[in-house]
Amino acid sequence: MSIRTQTATGSRRVRVVCPHNCYDTCSQIATVENGILRRIDGDPEHSHTRGRLCAKGYSYVDRVYARDRVRHPMIQEPRRSGHWRRISWEEALGRIALKLIGMKDRYGSLLPLCLYQGSGNMGLLHEATRVLFNSMGPITESVNNLCWTTGRNATRFDFGAVRNSDPAELQQAETVLLWGVNPAWTAPHQMGHLLDMRDRGVRLITVDPVGTATASLSDMHLPVRPGTDCALALGMARHLRETGQIDQAFVEGHTLGWESFLQYLDSAVTVEWAAAETGLLPGQIRQVADQYARGRPAAIWLGHGLQRYGNSGQAVRAINALGALTGQIGQPGAGVHYAHRETWILKEGLQPDDDWPGNRTVAAGDLVGGLRALSDPPVRMLWIARANPLVQAPGSEGFRRLLASMEMVVVVDPFMTATAAQADLVLPATTYLEQHDLNVSYWHHDLALNTRAIDPLFEARSELAIAQALGREVNRIRESFATFPTEGDEQAWLERAWTPAARTLFQVDSPTDLQGGPRRAGLPRVAWQDLRFATPSGRYEFSSEQAVAAGAPALPVYAPPAAPPVGFPLRLLTPHGAESINSQFPGQPPVVELHPETAAALGVAEGEEARLASPSGALHLPVRLTRTVPPDCAVVLGGHMSQINLLTQPRPSDMADTDGLRGLAYADTFIAITPVGG
Amino acid sequence: MIALRYAFLHDARRCTGCRTCAAACRNQHRLEPGLTLREVYAYREEPTDPRRHFLSVACHHCAEPECVRVCPTGAQFKRADGLVIQNHDQCLGCRLCMIACPYGSPRYSARERKVVKCDLCVDRLEAGREPACVEACHTRALRLIDLDTYTGDWVAPNVPGFPARAFTDPSIRFVVPKNAPTAR
Repeated sequence: MSIRTQTATGSRRVRVVCPHNCYDTCSQIATVENGILRRIDGDPEHSHTRGRLCAKGYSYVDRVYARDRVRHPMIQEPRRSGHWRRISWEEALGRIALKLIGMKDRYGSLLPLCLYQGSGNMGLLHEATRVLFNSMGPITESVNNLCWTTGRNATRFDFGAVRNSDPAELQQAETVLLWGVNPAWTAPHQMGHLLDMRDRGVRLITVDPVGTATASLSDMHLPVRPGTDCALALGMARHLRETGQIDQAFVEGHTLGWESFLQYLDSAVTVEWAAAETGLLPGQIRQVADQYARGRPAAIWLGHGLQRYGNSGQAVRAINALGALTGQIGQPGAGVHYAHRETWILKEGLQPDDDWPGNRTVAAGDLVGGLRALSDPPVRMLWIARANPLVQAPGSEGFRRLLASMEMVVVVDPFMTATAAQADLVLPATTYLEQHDLNVSYWHHDLALNTRAIDPLFEARSELAIAQALGREVNRIRESFATFPTEGDEQAWLERAWTPAARTLFQVDSPTDLQGGPRRAGLPRVAWQDLRFATPSGRYEFSSEQAVAAGAPALPVYAPPAAPPVGFPLRLLTPHGAESINSQFPGQPPVVELHPETAAALGVAEGEEARLASPSGALHLPVRLTRTVPPDCAVVLGGHMSQINLLTQPRPSDMADTDGLRGLAYADTFIAITPVGG
Repeated sequence: MIALRYAFLHDARRCTGCRTCAAACRNQHRLEPGLTLREVYAYREEPTDPRRHFLSVACHHCAEPECVRVCPTGAQFKRADGLVIQNHDQCLGCRLCMIACPYGSPRYSARERKVVKCDLCVDRLEAGREPACVEACHTRALRLIDLDTYTGDWVAPNVPGFPARAFTDPSIRFVVPKNAPTAR
């Protein structure tokens, strides 16, 4: 059903897609009256979201017309003075073009330019900036991200690729283990399905150090000590071994290294040891293992929170092993689900066919350290798009100094973020409602078309339009500086991305065919149903040579979590809230959640301001008391108002991929809390 | 949907505290930024079995509405089907209703200099649709029931910590968490 119709009242309904870094990636219906966005609704044609949005999606009218929208290109002079001046697009792009050309003249390449892109808008056409710069030659580029790398690396070693079943398949489960994930707040549509399953008698078990909303509504909550998830999984595996609940036919037929893994379990693991490590009771570990092995089919959902410790790669591998030991891989309603990348193929259509230059790469997780190590040539200019790293990246103070050390910082954003406030030039970007785009999810398997609902506000431009204008400007100053195609509107670019591979995967001839609603990719509904794994052996690998090559043990083995340093006794956990996504959306005012006994010992009370300090920095937050937080932890929801990354540092996690990239151990941050003025 | 006594039913055994209902309300009524007609509160924790449970409340469309009784212009009135509605044109912005309501439901719009309140999405009801907050709820924790005919889950008329209902007889019923005796 095409909804782009004119109604009797003169309002127009346009199908758009929420582009944020979120499981649900909702197709939406925007209602527009006389060019003004009036409301946002869910899309009944989107089966995963069933016509509903979340607290963020429903607030988009406020968001589009928010006072902190950047209206015009702005320049800050003197640098970081807070003195901003409106300039024209021509002047802004002229200054940038001269800088780019000057750098290339000075250094013989554009490697002194570093492009840093985040996940603030995951729409396809935001790739245009990268394509523009690469049409001028190799640049320095941040790769990897702050989010999912450890879990991705671990899952690749085991399965060979990161795939999940269509989320609808989860509904066939009889048991669901929600391991380090809080869908009640971060994937509310999936939570609706899960509670419907609970009504039918499906057992929901949540493993989380914090008594989250999801844990509170589950049949069982295992409050595992932070960073000991691996010990829990190994203890469960040992119990399955002792009680003859290993699927011998599966491990013999489809896995590699199961004998050595079982030997490790026999020699190094007992349920009682696992109980001591995790802070759980031996009976709880046996109970959850029995439920997982007997309550078939049983699915595991691995959250991102689980893989933010320094030993998380091993935890993810140990949990994956539970699926393989019980043969619960490749079956409807079973499997271990983390994320997938199977539908993220469209940007290949935007890249130049030949001569794609080799960029110099630096890990996004430690941009400060990475750029410091580059001297030939050094990086002199940062271009930051759809990202707010001053708030999101670990070590805010180091990042602030990095920005100050650049000759030029350009931020492209719809909003005057904390990072934008440190820039030299801020270019106003459109929100998704002001441009055309295509979006996919890392959870469901749908592709959806985002149709422009309203004209760009003020002087905002899409990243494609910005890239095209900058391409024209550099070529005006110096002929053929950029080979980037500066013609073609957004819709023409979406057609360009429509490669034969996309046509085959989505069974759609053209993006315009998606006007009637999202389209599910032609992927197997059940991940690994053919049991042909993408590993070197073609089997599920309990023992991985690739892990060894990347510097990790071959088997999933336990390493204890980091211990608090002297003077900083509390582990800081920064899970996601329901009303913000990373640094986007205002959300509720930040608080620090503490166990009442911890607060009493520290001399801080409910509602009072407390000082949170780490070796990296300090900040003040009001205290909220809750027994759902472990006594040795402090919990602050991520979000732009808490500035919590003043306290963190870029600590790598344990498991590099074969490309050397590691995830971040945000959860290995330890802090001290004292009363303000005390 | 024709009913004689509409009431909200809030089921804390399904509510996730995700605040989608409150945002859907703001989206529906195009409220100015910062203004909300629906609030989500945390239930007080049970110390021996701490969990996160939540309560979502808006106007309760009381059987004996104080807002209607004190309104000097008759802008607020109660319909036969139970809805407490405000005729916005007649509102002076005097805020007597805000003082009188034990639940703090009517809110003041600084932009309009008038009081705004939940109308149970009467336009949607008359078009056969649920209120925006109810339709948006991912888990059906928030529902609209007819008090005369509702025969579903066991419901409590009140939860401890909720203002005494004898005063205005609010049209809300609760399914309480198994382990949380009090709301705050």
